[in-house]
Amino acid sequence: MLNYIWFFLIVIALVVGVGKDINDEIRNTYRNGSPLEIIFISSQVPSGTATRCEGQFYLTAKQFNDFYGTSSQLEEVKQPVVLSLLQNKTGNFIFGCTEVTPVLWKDMAQSALVKDKLAGRVERIEFSDDHGWAKATIVMESIRFVKLKAITQAAIDFANIAVEIAIGLIGVMSLWLGLIKVAEEAGLVKVLTRLLAPITKRLFPDVPPDHPAIGAIIMNTAANMLGLSNAATPLGLKAMEELNKLNPKIGTATNAMVTFLAINTGGLILIPATAMAVRAAVGSTNIGIIIGTSIFAAGCATITGIVASKLLQRLPKYKRELMDDKKKSEEVNNG
Amino acid sequence: MVDLFRIVINFISILAIPLMIATFLVWGFFKKVRVYEVFVEGAKDGFHTAIRIIPYLVAMLFAIGIFRASGAMDVLISAITPLTNLIGMPPDTLPMALMRPLSGSGSLGIMTELMKVHGPDSFIGVLSSTLYGSSETTFYILAVYFGSVNIKNTRHAVPVGLLADLAGALAAVFICRLLFGI
Repeated sequence: MLNYIWFFLIVIALVVGVGKDINDEIRNTYRNGSPLEIIFISSQVPSGTATRCEGQFYLTAKQFNDFYGTSSQLEEVKQPVVLSLLQNKTGNFIFGCTEVTPVLWKDMAQSALVKDKLAGRVERIEFSDDHGWAKATIVMESIRFVKLKAITQAAIDFANIAVEIAIGLIGVMSLWLGLIKVAEEAGLVKVLTRLLAPITKRLFPDVPPDHPAIGAIIMNTAANMLGLSNAATPLGLKAMEELNKLNPKIGTATNAMVTFLAINTGGLILIPATAMAVRAAVGSTNIGIIIGTSIFAAGCATITGIVASKLLQRLPKYKRELMDDKKKSEEVNNG
Repeated sequence: MVDLFRIVINFISILAIPLMIATFLVWGFFKKVRVYEVFVEGAKDGFHTAIRIIPYLVAMLFAIGIFRASGAMDVLISAITPLTNLIGMPPDTLPMALMRPLSGSGSLGIMTELMKVHGPDSFIGVLSSTLYGSSETTFYILAVYFGSVNIKNTRHAVPVGLLADLAGALAAVFICRLLFGI
């Protein structure tokens, strides 16, 4: 299943990316090579043969939308820009993206020559008599293959992020594995598992109730519910390691593992701390109102996950995958 | 009532880790466990476990990353949007529900954006923060947890995880409509 999802995520991404780029090319979404009439506002008085001139590009929202054939720009464009002019007639310009930059230009800048900066030629510029502004004709640099460039960048970025996450786990991982080892040797985990045995026996019938896996599962779930994600992941990985010791077929998930992951991805949490922090940051008057709704929704998800794992594990397809190859061939011979 | 619950839970969250460290070590010490040596023995596995998940994590995050970057996510969203009206889910919150199982940082960004635009206490604000708060990054957990024990055949784990996410999203819409309905 993961095989197919993974493969289709990538194929669909590539097909959509190529499709969008071809579409952009045909419709000339970025108006490559088209001259744009624009007003340049500057307090500086250009003089001499080669001038560097700071100011703003000014366009009304209508001019912008007419030129690009969009309707998304709602405010007038006032883009800070730097011009390099030759004899005050022609030259180049470049600007970095700021908060006032139109979304379309921001998108274009993502795959520009210099990332996050759009450059282009000034074909013609005529300063008014009082030098406060000028009429200019500009041509932006050509923007092509936006999505394919974005895909390339994302592939590399996310490969790096994956390693950063894994490396970042080493410390907390070691800390918690060390602490659990002490708790195990002290017999503490056994006490914990005995307490919750009535529940865990039903959830994980394949796992002996006093197995260390059960202890790790209980601690992981408790850490998740308290929102202690730093502790939860190491404890969860410890639980997987212990569950894997009972695995008859290495490399294949057992029923207990799937049930455990169902509980884990259900996301049962008593305080949704991150969501509440963001609510506070954007000025909510009542950050706590999502506690009840989150517990309800996560509870429904967790119960659904547990029930689904128990039902799906009975399907012949999934039963067969767990049998070791010897049994499977016996079954084929018998049947 | 809600406030009291919040204060109690926050208090437990803050106490939990120091308390666990203290209990484990003190209990172990009195049970005559060689605490320092045993701790180091256990901690040795930390490095290998973390390193072992790298290939799984790279495979998962890179696929999700290019899926988002290519604009395929937007295509998927516009394809499903008609269905959201049926269950009374504002179309604006659909990206949130779809992104949540795929990417933690991606869905955090969407939630923040939605609350900035619509206000945190609007229906959309409450629903999007409930969607975020009530769920986990399913595919990340699958990659990390199965990766740590080198499991390649995940059997029914993906359908189970997605069914749970679907149920969670529907439940979030239901409860938010019931309590803060439009």
